[in-house]
Amino acid sequence: MKRALHAEWTKMRTVAGPLWLLLGTVAATVSLSAVAASLANCTATGCGGDTAKLALVGVYLGQAPVAILGVLVIGGEYGSGMIRTTLAAMPRRTTVLTAKAVALTGSVAVGGTVAVLGAVLAGRLVLPDAGDRALSLSDGPTLRAVFGTVLYLILIGLLSLGVAAAVRDSATGIGVVLGLLYVVPIVSQTISDPGWRRLLEKMAPMTSGLAVQATTDLGSLPIGPWAGLGVTAGWAIATLLVGGLLLRTRDA
Amino acid sequence: MISVVTSRRAGQRVGRDGFLEVLHAEWTKFRTVRGRLIGMVVAAMLLLLFAVLTGVSSHQKGAPPVPIGPGSEPVTDSFYFVHQPVSDNGSITVSVSALKSSIPKGPGDLRPGLVPWAKAGLIIKQSTRQGSPYAAIMVTGAHGVRMQDAYVNDTAGPPGLVSGESPRRLRLDRSGDMITGYASADGAHWTKVGTARVSGLGPTPQIGVFVASPPALDGMGTAGSVSTAVFADLRVQGGRADGRWTGDQVGPRSPTFAGYPDGTSGSVTGSDGRLTVTGAGDIAPAVRETLPTGGTLREILTGTFAALIAVIVVGALFITAEYRTKMIRLTLAANPRRSRVLVAKATVLWAVTFAAGLVGAVLAAPLGERLARSNGVHLFPVSSLTELRVVCGTAALLATAAVLALSVGAIVRHSAGAVTTVLVAIVLPYILTALPFMPASAANWLARVTPGAAFAVQQTLVDYDQVASHYTPYNGYYPLAPWAGFAVLAAYAVVCLAAAAVLLDRRDA
Amino acid sequence: MLRRTVGMSSLRTAGAPGIVVAGLRKRYGTALALDGMSFTVRPGVVTGLVGPNGAGKSTTMRVILGLDAVDEGTALIGGKPYRGLRHPLKHVGSLLDAAALHAGRSGRDHLLWLAHSQGLDARRVEQVIEQVGLTPAARRKAGGYSLGMRQRLGIAAALLGDPPIIMLDEPFNGMDPDGIVWMRGFLRSLAAQGRAVLVSSHLMSEVQDTADHLVVVGRGKAIADAGVADLIAAVSGDRVTVRTAAGAHAMRVLVRAGATVAATGRDTITVSGWPADRIATLLSQNAVPFSEVSAHRASLEDVYLELTREAVEFRAATHTEVSR
Repeated sequence: MKRALHAEWTKMRTVAGPLWLLLGTVAATVSLSAVAASLANCTATGCGGDTAKLALVGVYLGQAPVAILGVLVIGGEYGSGMIRTTLAAMPRRTTVLTAKAVALTGSVAVGGTVAVLGAVLAGRLVLPDAGDRALSLSDGPTLRAVFGTVLYLILIGLLSLGVAAAVRDSATGIGVVLGLLYVVPIVSQTISDPGWRRLLEKMAPMTSGLAVQATTDLGSLPIGPWAGLGVTAGWAIATLLVGGLLLRTRDA
Repeated sequence: MISVVTSRRAGQRVGRDGFLEVLHAEWTKFRTVRGRLIGMVVAAMLLLLFAVLTGVSSHQKGAPPVPIGPGSEPVTDSFYFVHQPVSDNGSITVSVSALKSSIPKGPGDLRPGLVPWAKAGLIIKQSTRQGSPYAAIMVTGAHGVRMQDAYVNDTAGPPGLVSGESPRRLRLDRSGDMITGYASADGAHWTKVGTARVSGLGPTPQIGVFVASPPALDGMGTAGSVSTAVFADLRVQGGRADGRWTGDQVGPRSPTFAGYPDGTSGSVTGSDGRLTVTGAGDIAPAVRETLPTGGTLREILTGTFAALIAVIVVGALFITAEYRTKMIRLTLAANPRRSRVLVAKATVLWAVTFAAGLVGAVLAAPLGERLARSNGVHLFPVSSLTELRVVCGTAALLATAAVLALSVGAIVRHSAGAVTTVLVAIVLPYILTALPFMPASAANWLARVTPGAAFAVQQTLVDYDQVASHYTPYNGYYPLAPWAGFAVLAAYAVVCLAAAAVLLDRRDA
Repeated sequence: MLRRTVGMSSLRTAGAPGIVVAGLRKRYGTALALDGMSFTVRPGVVTGLVGPNGAGKSTTMRVILGLDAVDEGTALIGGKPYRGLRHPLKHVGSLLDAAALHAGRSGRDHLLWLAHSQGLDARRVEQVIEQVGLTPAARRKAGGYSLGMRQRLGIAAALLGDPPIIMLDEPFNGMDPDGIVWMRGFLRSLAAQGRAVLVSSHLMSEVQDTADHLVVVGRGKAIADAGVADLIAAVSGDRVTVRTAAGAHAMRVLVRAGATVAATGRDTITVSGWPADRIATLLSQNAVPFSEVSAHRASLEDVYLELTREAVEFRAATHTEVSR
């Protein structure tokens, strides 16, 4: 396992793609958050909503490069055929997938932390009045929102890895992942039955996971912050299990 | 010499510029990869699947019926009405000396507030049945005197607010079907505001004063409001009336009326022609926010988002797969005029995606509508021409998005990057507009400048100046006209295709 | 060319019997890819796995590497299935597809991650890069490599774990003449070090000067499994060609002596069943002039065509008729 991890980490750091994608995550997260904060109607008492959620809105965009990274970690090897080299060198396929997941987790944790802290900093700079109070890391709910958002990004990466391992194609994998993330919340809006809508928002990986960003009015959420992130974790685990099972049983 | 002649003949045989042959080759390439055809079928199926899902997941059976206006559009027709039946021609006058509104800020916490479209005035209406024809003249919270009829017609009269020092006198004259509204500041000089022909008033229409108070905009949502008006000198001249005024809430339970704020109710007090009337509701066309249980064609075609993913993946792979397998070299060796290859690919892709999208939308729209109606959902009405536009527009949207993905794929030469770029550019703006803190100006800006503007082609809702509401993309109102929104996406696709053609020419294959 | 490396001797003394493939059967839908494939690859010998395209060579190699599962049969490396090996590249070095690289990663870094997966370090990477002569290009992105450079990089990857078994799929494909010569010498030197070397090819000419032992494959099974010399003898029979201007005279003399003779050309006759020296002696004794008496040798090409005639799956119909 240690050697597989060392190999996967070497793979990750010896191509330019992952670094650029993580920089893309930082840039997308910070810039969208800054723009959203500057557009919001904020007063000294707040922004007519959840200031922490507003400052962290950039992950809606920032998760896209993370998803690409997660997909490419294995999808790219299927594209070039290098997966055979990998599996010839490391015949224990579960170990390979686990090593990939750990290497991905580490990279996204670093990139995601920079992105999320950058977004908070941007929020404080753009919203000096409302930001100083609501966007302090010493504030319990805000700290939970920040930490939870980094975890959310990691889980999105793992979800993407699992999907790509199952579909064995980058383009299809990214389509499935972005569909899961973006389309379910849109579809849920068209369902007029509020019970069904809340259920769908509880089940979807993005709407449930981003509940971890809420710092005010927790009672009105379809799902609690940590429970919501738990749903996203469930998605990541489920796709990794399916991907891992298919990786084990199929010919490479 | 002979060889020169032969080669020219050969050139002529394959067509003047050989484009049809390139097109044929690309079509053969497209249809012989099973995954691409599956992708197209999946796109059509997703449209259908989500239409069925939307249709069956909505249950409005047993809800009170949605009031329908004379133009067969859903309307809000809930207000407090002090009325009596009056037959024959005649006129009615009143003086309005106050119109005050209150908005709840919390449970039991009612604060005075401005409701721009709070209404108090005179109305002649066929009956107290919701949706029946009427004409009315009124003072409003912030839009001066207005004359309105048939729910959708609105004519501006003299501006200004009313108060005890400067009351506003209003008059309605009836002559058969013709109703004329007047306004006056002093009771001596009358200004004609407008005339309306109201057919179907019947032999004894109800006539009287009314107060309505629509929900006020409150952040991203709306808050119910209640308004109170003071009327004086209520007189009926001509016509046959029995002289007894009755106060009633028209349409107390209605899908288009959210009810009174907690602790308030409609009422009338006073006598001798001086009345204090409290009311809530509106007499106006229903919009998305006032009829939240209503359905739209756009919602039935919500599968467009899912179908987009399928066609974008197919579109991007149509070129990136050639780069991955290096087949692009063979393609370009066979057709050295590279931009023509790209145009041929785009043409084939657009046509195939349009066909798949059209099949999906043509089946999905009527099926979803039927299912929704059978579950008691009221659908905002669309003309058959509009339905045709939505269906064709949906297919065109999918096809153009696929071509955009092809172009981006040719530029970045990487499938995952191309799919993500295009999908995020089209879908993310829509999600961002739905965020609670996104102001309407930002949402409308996104719906103008991003490729997501193309969803305007699916809009079927009409916005009304006389109804205060959030006319945002989230609620189904787009800042651009349907085809103008589509043109934004088309412009992105054309620009990217041109850039891709230039790069394809300059770069080594 | 090949530098002896530390650890080689210990691996050789392990006395691993190489690769033992027994009764592999695999079906893709209706197509039978492997139909009872069995053979053995021994140490110190270059074994050629030859057969037409689609005969099952690559599938067999993928099965040996644990990449593809089989319906029946076993493929064992030193008595163990590949997937049970702890550091597989220290047992088997392989090259399946030289193009299977990340275009954005340098050749050195490609070897580095492979080394890390086996617990090896960067020093070993530098050694194999030097061994295959890739040092000047090692730090460039692999996307810009020529086919020959990719092959060398693939060989370097196969050598990384200093394995007793080397397995290469179509290593001569796309190589220039210099490269082919290099590759032949290289494979021979690997075998000389005591390694088991398995090389597949669809062209007999590519392996005939390299391989000691041949496994000829057709329709998913081994149709011949023998040493090169034995195979040639089996096909040639013991025929001798005599070149002489006095053909009729020679034939009379030989037939009288009891030999089986046939005229095969304007000035050549073929004698079956007699060794060449006896024929030369007989002709001299009878004063028959001749310019050449030579034992006929079938080329490996002939052997291959002879053996695979029935086994070729995709032969054109007209061609089949002519050949029958």
